[in-house]
Amino acid sequence: MAPLQKRALYSFVIGLILTIALIVVFVAQGDITAFERDPNLRLIMYAVLIGVPLIYLILVNLTLRKPAQLDERDRLIIERSSRAQWLAVIFTLVVWTIALTEIYRGQGQVPIAFLKLIFIFTSTLIISTLAHSLGILVGYWEMNRNE
Amino acid sequence: MSRIKNRIRRLRFDHNEMTQEELASKAGCTRQTIIALEQNKYVPSVELAFRVAKAFGVPLEEVFKYEDSQKG
Repeated sequence: MAPLQKRALYSFVIGLILTIALIVVFVAQGDITAFERDPNLRLIMYAVLIGVPLIYLILVNLTLRKPAQLDERDRLIIERSSRAQWLAVIFTLVVWTIALTEIYRGQGQVPIAFLKLIFIFTSTLIISTLAHSLGILVGYWEMNRNE
Repeated sequence: MSRIKNRIRRLRFDHNEMTQEELASKAGCTRQTIIALEQNKYVPSVELAFRVAKAFGVPLEEVFKYEDSQKG
């Protein structure tokens, strides 16, 4: 197994365990409103939200810094996986936006905070698409400049 | 399956039974990439192809060849 493959497997297993643990905590606390009721749970969630991407970035950087552990084939696989990651994020945002809108409409009231969240989701979607196009344009511009 | 075939496995044995690890070290890639190359599951970049050829001390065309289906 390649070093990058091993690291990805560990990250996947740890991520899965962490996700299940979070779901169990919320189920044990009653429902999602525990996030508002319990200040400790809120702090744990903040720590997870900041800590997980930070640890992930550190681990990825540690792998990328060792040239013997990472070659062109690994980089190609990383690029492909990034596309899958981007699609998964967009898909999740879209599903949440539609699902929550329908749930709130069914209840006959849409909270103002949710409308702000929709704005955040939509702007993230638009910006990510724009950034993708911009990335392609910059890539071509840089290549033409180096010719 | 790629049309680019290689003789890496044959060349390793011809070069004093060079191990995949040794070749990977000389070519500057991982052993898993050498395995993928030998199984024709990965087409290397031009740069890596040259490095593999250099590791054996032979010209590029002695390691890699393009199988044109148009030819008989």
